[in-house]
Amino acid sequence: MNAIPQLFFDAMSLGGIYAMAALGIALIFGVMKLVNFAHGEYIAFCVFALIVPSTDAVAVMFIGKAPAIVLIPILLLVGAAVAVASEFFVFRHMRRATPVAMMISSFALGFVIQNTLLLVYGSRPKAISLWPELNKPVSIIGASIPLLQIIVILTTLIVVVALALLLKKTRIGLEMRAAAENFTMARLLGVRANVVITGAFALSGALAAAVALIMVTQTGVADVRMGGQIMLVAFIATVIGGLGSLPGAVAAGFLIGAASVILQGFLPLEARPFRDAFLYTLVIVVLLLRPDGLFTSNSTKPRV
Amino acid sequence: MSKLGVYDVAVRYGKIPALEDVSFTVSEGERLFISGPNGAGKSSLLKAICGAAPTSHGRIEVDGDVLNGRSPEAIARLGLTMVPEGRDIFGTLTVEENLRVGTGIRRDKSAIETDIEEVYENFPMLADRRHANAGALSGGQQQMLAIGRGLMTNPKLMLVDEPSLGLAPNIVDQVYQTLVNLQKDRGLTLIIVEQSSARAARVGGRMLLLRGGNVVGDGDSVKFAESDLLKEAYFGQDTPEGPS
Repeated sequence: MNAIPQLFFDAMSLGGIYAMAALGIALIFGVMKLVNFAHGEYIAFCVFALIVPSTDAVAVMFIGKAPAIVLIPILLLVGAAVAVASEFFVFRHMRRATPVAMMISSFALGFVIQNTLLLVYGSRPKAISLWPELNKPVSIIGASIPLLQIIVILTTLIVVVALALLLKKTRIGLEMRAAAENFTMARLLGVRANVVITGAFALSGALAAAVALIMVTQTGVADVRMGGQIMLVAFIATVIGGLGSLPGAVAAGFLIGAASVILQGFLPLEARPFRDAFLYTLVIVVLLLRPDGLFTSNSTKPRV
Repeated sequence: MSKLGVYDVAVRYGKIPALEDVSFTVSEGERLFISGPNGAGKSSLLKAICGAAPTSHGRIEVDGDVLNGRSPEAIARLGLTMVPEGRDIFGTLTVEENLRVGTGIRRDKSAIETDIEEVYENFPMLADRRHANAGALSGGQQQMLAIGRGLMTNPKLMLVDEPSLGLAPNIVDQVYQTLVNLQKDRGLTLIIVEQSSARAARVGGRMLLLRGGNVVGDGDSVKFAESDLLKEAYFGQDTPEGPS
């Protein structure tokens, strides 16, 4: 049988997407204590940036026309730019606000982005064919796996390793880790708050762009609402992982992906439509047992 | 060079005043102890100087640069560094990473490595643990690390908040010995919040006595220890016989 490797690749690739989205949220929470609910809309924004702005039913490629080697960096920059802009225009003015006030403004910002997309692109989901050849199956250890799944898993690994190196080996990484642990103390040592926060938003936005590319290649659809579901799962992953913990966010992302795929594979047929109910029951159980998440981080203490 | 001037400074948290009207100056290379009972405003004063607490009134200057309204990171660039109460070590960072956080503001990048080695020479127990997580250090080691971390910003003026807090007396002796030596070697200006006036008298230096957000005494710490002014500052004039 080849069901087991098939499940494994399904779980890893779904988990990889969740992990990258969760990292985007955890990075900003780490330095700002902000749960940025606009993150899902960054993803949708990046998807729509691929096509020409119009309310027509048929999507015409815009950035999406470029070859991958140009397209990928441009879209990462678009993601970083929208995140940095939202920090500059919204969150920068709320530095002294409570985390709850910041969270609510992130909801508001999300609605603004979503409705702007609605206005410009219309409400109908549009078919986008980006790199369709990646959905062709390849045969690995007896299982037939879409090439995209392997690329997603590799991309996640590369992103996680690159992020770990950036945080561990660079000046900005050191400052981000120090600021995540104790922002006031970091500033007293001359760490510039604006640089660290802008850096965190840029990284988070670039991660949103990576997720956008994967989602649109996988589903072939651009939908204004496509950020909502992934944002919810990613947020849950950051909570389970321990808010503010980056390794926790990655691990929990993979965990939720795996649990989701396993439930899909092993639940009795008549229970499968309710897979998410079972999934979130598991989430509740985890949080009852470990209210601070699986990997607690001392940066969850409120910023002074 | 690094003359600090504090003029009519007030700090309030909401409606609660922490400092009412404080003025004093500190000249280069001086050692100033700030003493007084709990709630006198000692920590608030340090926080106001380094930019961690906003002032509601008055002016703070270093070498003619006005500090009020500047961000903590901008004040750090003027050569002030803070060793806070409770030390605020970055526990998830290694000892060496802690030392490097504050080096971003330095222009003399080439001197950073030799300065790190110098910190390790001053604090050998840190050298042994340089790649260990700072959270695993003992209280005394963390205090040394906090001082070393402050030194790595190459400061002219160092503010130290309650360095003896929670440390064994012999460790406190070591901490003060280190501070005094550093001051001698580098010509640092030191401002130290120290609740124990006896300790301040033993180390020696000028002492500023705060009570209820105001300066109630300013003079030599040794003379203070012998005077009644201290008792008055701590217990107030009309307090009946002894502490209850």
